Amino acid sequence: MDVLELKNVSFVYSKGTPFQKVALDNINISFEKGKITGLIGHTGSGKSTLVNLLNGLNKPSEGTVLLNGKDIWEKPKEISKIRYKVGLVMQYPEYQLFDETVRADIGFAPRNLGLSKEEIEMRVLEAAKFTGIDDSLLNKSPFELSGGQKRRVAIAGILAMKPEVLILDEPAAGLDPRGRREILGGLTEYINHNDASIILVSHSMEDMAYYCDNVVVMNKSRVFKSGTVKEIFSNADELNDIGLDVPIVAKIASKLKKSGIDLQGTLYTVEGVKEAILNYIMEGKR
Amino acid sequence: MISDITLGQFFPGFSPIHKLDPRTKIILTTLFIIEVFLADTPLLLALMLLTTVIMIGVSRISFAVVLRGIKPIFFIIIFTAFFNIFMTKGQGEPLVHFKIITIYKEGIIRAVFMGLRVIILILGTSILLTYTTSPISLTDGLEILFKPLKKIGIPVHLFSMMMTIALRFIPTLIEETEKIMNAQKSRGADFSQGGLIKRVKALIPILVPLLVSSFKRAEELATAMEARCYRGDKNRTKLVKLTYKPLDFLWFAMAVLLFGGIIALRILPGHISPDSLIYDILFYKV
Repeated sequence: MDVLELKNVSFVYSKGTPFQKVALDNINISFEKGKITGLIGHTGSGKSTLVNLLNGLNKPSEGTVLLNGKDIWEKPKEISKIRYKVGLVMQYPEYQLFDETVRADIGFAPRNLGLSKEEIEMRVLEAAKFTGIDDSLLNKSPFELSGGQKRRVAIAGILAMKPEVLILDEPAAGLDPRGRREILGGLTEYINHNDASIILVSHSMEDMAYYCDNVVVMNKSRVFKSGTVKEIFSNADELNDIGLDVPIVAKIASKLKKSGIDLQGTLYTVEGVKEAILNYIMEGKR
Repeated sequence: MISDITLGQFFPGFSPIHKLDPRTKIILTTLFIIEVFLADTPLLLALMLLTTVIMIGVSRISFAVVLRGIKPIFFIIIFTAFFNIFMTKGQGEPLVHFKIITIYKEGIIRAVFMGLRVIILILGTSILLTYTTSPISLTDGLEILFKPLKKIGIPVHLFSMMMTIALRFIPTLIEETEKIMNAQKSRGADFSQGGLIKRVKALIPILVPLLVSSFKRAEELATAMEARCYRGDKNRTKLVKLTYKPLDFLWFAMAVLLFGGIIALRILPGHISPDSLIYDILFYKV
């Protein structure tokens, strides 16, 4: 089933001025429920614009955005309700922190939702758990925290809305490998717990290969290709043509294949390629 | 959207106005403002209007875009027109007399006159200066024009550097504000509903992050400048030296002609019989 769907969506910035720019050109894609969908593309390919359309921050110039089969702009006055259902974590979200304590900042969205005090506290604690924020940090000012901790607090601020769809724009940019793994791992846990879906915008092909089920490739304001991770990453040449990379292990696998070594299996994660190579060697011995 | 404000925005181009030396444009703009205020008869105002329309044509910036620049001051025009219509006392019979409302012919004429004057003022100055001059060359021009003040101890260079930086960061700040607004909207913040106090409170989640990042940015900029050995205008040379070109002299000549014409037309009335019809058409005093 598709949770979010875009039909013939176009978006033009500054329409009617000399600065007019087509950012999205007739986009048709759907995002599967309960899955992690990756969104990749160059800077300027329209990823962030697309993401802003999904939770109603911008209205498409043409076409419709469907959430669970319903047009999100059906009642323009109730667009803020959509934003609770489709949670968007923007790029470098730590710049949105403002409240006196971490607890209050994470609780901002639930407060806006008009929830009871107990419910707010519960959600804050839950969101903090998913993002790995220690309880001792909750009463500190968000401005005292380190960059990585701030990032977690900001993500927790969105998780506290318990969105059906969670969109993350480069959630791990500028973090060390361990912070990356912890944040992205926590997200997988979140969707398993809440029966939610995730859309992950990233430049890191490794992250895509490791965490995503499906991938959408954007190029020059259009959808270049979409499909399962396997479908996308097994064709390295195509991605190379538009200047995008595949995970390094996928590259190695494809080079090996080209030199006549017939590998089988998931050829885009370290584990998968390792297994494939071992299998190949074992078969050779037999 | 905030970025729709065009008043004081630079439109890059290659028209004769774009090619003028910034100093020329600053001087001509000053002259233009004086001329608009000297123009106190319908004829002179029509002359200024014609000048403005010609300049818009020469600048090759579309009329629609230019007119959009008036939108923000539309309220002021309506406001002054309102007071001019109802507050002006004229000779002779009032046009309308209903309870406390009295409208004289003079009031209406004055309202139209003032409105036109403000519009011409805004259009003319924005075409001559802000729409066609990049902020950098504008401050460059100002710095050179005000250089004589250095002799009496005014740090002209520092002022112009401050202005350059301020201008340079306006778009950045607008972008940043938009980003933060979007981030808070994604957390269910609502800036368009509720009473005054509620709306002011709703600004806190925007202002705090904006302030924090501005301070951070200022510090980073200062460090970056220091790292490149910036120490004011000591021994500093210009990358682009400003020189007056024949085009500049042509425009100066035209401006002086216009100025002379206006002065002449202001003195002339003393030499035509005030009772003649021509006098009434040409020199109706407001």
